Amino acid sequence: MRSRRTTSLLVEPPAAATGDIAFNLIVFFLVCASIQPDSGRPQTIPRSEQEEEQKEEEKHVEVQIKRNVALINGSVVADKSFVINLSNLLKNKPREDDRVVVVKSDKDVEYQQWIKVTEMIEQAGGIITIQTEEEREVIVD
Amino acid sequence: MRVEVPSMAMGDIAFNLLIFFVILARAQDDSHLNWQPAQAEELQSVANSKVSVVIDADEKIYVNGQQLGVSQLSGRIANLLGDAPAGDRTVLLKVHNQSKALTFEPVIEAVSEAGGDLFHVVEKENSR
Repeated sequence: MRSRRTTSLLVEPPAAATGDIAFNLIVFFLVCASIQPDSGRPQTIPRSEQEEEQKEEEKHVEVQIKRNVALINGSVVADKSFVINLSNLLKNKPREDDRVVVVKSDKDVEYQQWIKVTEMIEQAGGIITIQTEEEREVIVD
Repeated sequence: MRVEVPSMAMGDIAFNLLIFFVILARAQDDSHLNWQPAQAEELQSVANSKVSVVIDADEKIYVNGQQLGVSQLSGRIANLLGDAPAGDRTVLLKVHNQSKALTFEPVIEAVSEAGGDLFHVVEKENSR
């Protein structure tokens, strides 16, 4: 009588190792999730006190941001010619202090529009300073 | 009598510790907040920063995942930055793209007042 040889080709991982496998998978995905760097745009904005001093010294270029358009010194400028126009105004100003551009935004201006315009100001070599309106409550008897 | 921790339970203990620290870290995280980044042309990468300010879709302001008012913002950021040297004072600003100037401009001013280096987190523009 011939004995039957049994060869099992399918080798299963031991059930006791399932916990370790799960643990290593969690660590792997946590590390993957935490190393994704943020991308964006750095921006230097002078402090408020400096801004007030500068305002007294001389008049700077003023950019007004509206909901859909931007104005340079009160004139509406199309997006295509914005950088060129502003570069021309800042052309003969080698000092950093002279290249300060005062940015005034309407209250309803969206961040997307603000980022687009301030990006163009920086491309033209301007240094952004934000000017906000202070709201004062006056009580009349 | 000496009682030993069964070695079979080590995996479970490690797993529970990990979950505990993940939940603890999530309290300071802002990844659960709902905001859509604005788009810009030229982008740079930034290394880790200590402070992250988010303005979400409901125009609420969060510093490192904790909701705050505008008046508390400057002091809180200054506290978190401490005496960090220049170059290590990056403040990530994550603003929802439809957020209004009335909300985000005071936040930018507060970061500037606290002496933070402002970094707008935006995404690459597809086409203009």
